Amino acid sequence: MENSGGNCAPMVGNEELVPEFWYNIIPDLPVPLSPPRDPPDGDFSRIDLLNEILPREILRQQFTVERYLKIPEELREKYILIGRPTPLIRAIGLEKALNTPAKIYFKYEGYTPTGSHKINTALAQSYFALNEGVDHVVTETGAGQWGTAVSFAASLFDMKSTIFMVKVSYEQKPMRKILMNLYGGNVYPSPSNLTEYGLNILKEKPDHPGSLGIAMSEAIEYALKNKLRYLVGSVLDVAILHQSIIGLETMKQLEMIGENADILIGCVGGGSNFGGFSYPFIGNKIGEEYIAVGSEEIPKFSKGEYKYDFADSAGLLPLVKMITLGHNYVPPPIYSGGLRYHGVAPTLSILIKQGIVKWKEYNEKEIFEAAKLFMRTQGIVPAPESSHAIRAVIEKALELKKNNEKKTIVFNLSGHGLLDLTNYDSMSRRVVS
Amino acid sequence: MNCLVCYMTLGYPNADTFEEFIEKSQKFGCDILEVGIPTNNAKYDGPVIKSSYKKVIKINLEEELEKLSFLIKKPTLALTYLEDHINNLEEFLKMLKKNNFSGILMPDLIIDYIDDYKKFHEFVKRNELNDVMFVSPTVPDKILQEVSNYSDIFLYYGIRPTTGIPIPISPDVLVKRVRPLVNNKLIVGFGLSNEDIKSVIKAGADGIAIGTAFIKKIDSEGLESSLNLVKELRGILDEAK
Repeated sequence: MENSGGNCAPMVGNEELVPEFWYNIIPDLPVPLSPPRDPPDGDFSRIDLLNEILPREILRQQFTVERYLKIPEELREKYILIGRPTPLIRAIGLEKALNTPAKIYFKYEGYTPTGSHKINTALAQSYFALNEGVDHVVTETGAGQWGTAVSFAASLFDMKSTIFMVKVSYEQKPMRKILMNLYGGNVYPSPSNLTEYGLNILKEKPDHPGSLGIAMSEAIEYALKNKLRYLVGSVLDVAILHQSIIGLETMKQLEMIGENADILIGCVGGGSNFGGFSYPFIGNKIGEEYIAVGSEEIPKFSKGEYKYDFADSAGLLPLVKMITLGHNYVPPPIYSGGLRYHGVAPTLSILIKQGIVKWKEYNEKEIFEAAKLFMRTQGIVPAPESSHAIRAVIEKALELKKNNEKKTIVFNLSGHGLLDLTNYDSMSRRVVS
Repeated sequence: MNCLVCYMTLGYPNADTFEEFIEKSQKFGCDILEVGIPTNNAKYDGPVIKSSYKKVIKINLEEELEKLSFLIKKPTLALTYLEDHINNLEEFLKMLKKNNFSGILMPDLIIDYIDDYKKFHEFVKRNELNDVMFVSPTVPDKILQEVSNYSDIFLYYGIRPTTGIPIPISPDVLVKRVRPLVNNKLIVGFGLSNEDIKSVIKAGADGIAIGTAFIKKIDSEGLESSLNLVKELRGILDEAK
């Protein structure tokens, strides 16, 4: 590794680790990916709607399937600006606490300014929106991580952003709202009076707590009405494509230290952090075991069906074939907002159905214990979502200990949990260990 | 020579216009005909073709196919979903054979029946019909390569997720990715503009398939205009190589 200019700051000199291409797993899947579809009795074409609201380049990337896609240099520079490559850290503290012969590494996406992997696609989508002359982007957010990423990404490109935030989160998570405002985002509680959709709901029920589906409908209506561009957080293949930067960096970092990944682990909301992290390994046949981790409270792996379903809870996006609990499924208000999604990304669904990726589900108590152990041995407060991955890592490391196997586990720590402290506090009161 | 595959929904918009389109498009430069069998479950078709199916859903299939059989001069394929015939495939294939069809093209075969496609392929061949396979850019390279060897006459590559919606894509990139994998004639379709046509031919495609554009022309300007489009496309293809 070169160190440019003798600067000792840890990240400077690492820029060559930021990939020049994104990786798309579709050409390397074991079976064909079913195309997105319009519902047979639909009153409008959802596929056509994508055409009207997404940046054109995003749509082009979604449907022009090629294995490697060049990252524009200007965008790559922004990846470097936010601190990429993010660190790959050996979890020595955790290894010692578990007294395992396994080596444990984690890719730390919480290192990015907005604290999670979401910024990787928010930057790309904002960049391509700006390139077509749009100076204002719109999206929705639930827990706030995606909205935070979009607010910052838009500001970085000198664009405006409007975020519809689910009202109950807006009221219960003022810190996220403040953060988005500080980054320059305009945040509105949804349902709002800015759209017809929101107005109608408020007329019926002025104190409606909102939902992700409502916020999304509002964001799309707002984008259409004002001719703005809508950014999409996780569901489409293109979001995983942008996130592949995580796995590609990890591969290079492992190569630099002469390490081979045997077991790769990540948590799954829609699948973009897991896919972005693991697909470059899966597609290149590196590693022997891949584990996707979800929440027992949103049992999509254990109870979901593999079928065509709306990609979003509002039914505004096309139908995609995936493992799903049904788009009408109302997830319980759990501690990990980012995992409250009814489906599993179509490419990940295929890999799970084919047995290439295994899955695990854990409950609140199990992940809380894992999070505490990680905090006490590594110091980082993991996002509750990422704590699911940590739980699986701990189990695996203990299993390897039992068999005295010296394997290498690599997992994606998709975000930090410093804005989830009240969440952890209420968890500690609910969970009596 | 670059191949022009022309699609029309069976009996659309009425028997007379359909028959005239079939008859004349073959004279005006169409190399292969593709006839859509109306269905209520057009899972991978776009809004234009879907609505064309709706308008003719009540036709008598046997009668229409028989009338068509007298007009067929060029190789003719039935475009139909396997799911619609899964319980009576043999009967349906026999009806096609009897009515001068050369083959069948089932857009859901590779996507929804990937584990059994060879079995269905054998079945079609046993009924003395060609089995033309349909793939999309979401078909992985390994499968695409294998399927292209099985496909009869040509491999149909639908480059947009659906017909008739102008999704922005890079047709040349999509064709260049698969060209080295395809040991067969490669026919490209789905929402092609004139620019797209030149670009896919340049990228190595052996021809194009057009459908939605003919239906739109019939709906908006009438039959003559759709037949002029056949001539125009023939011209573009002849110039393109």
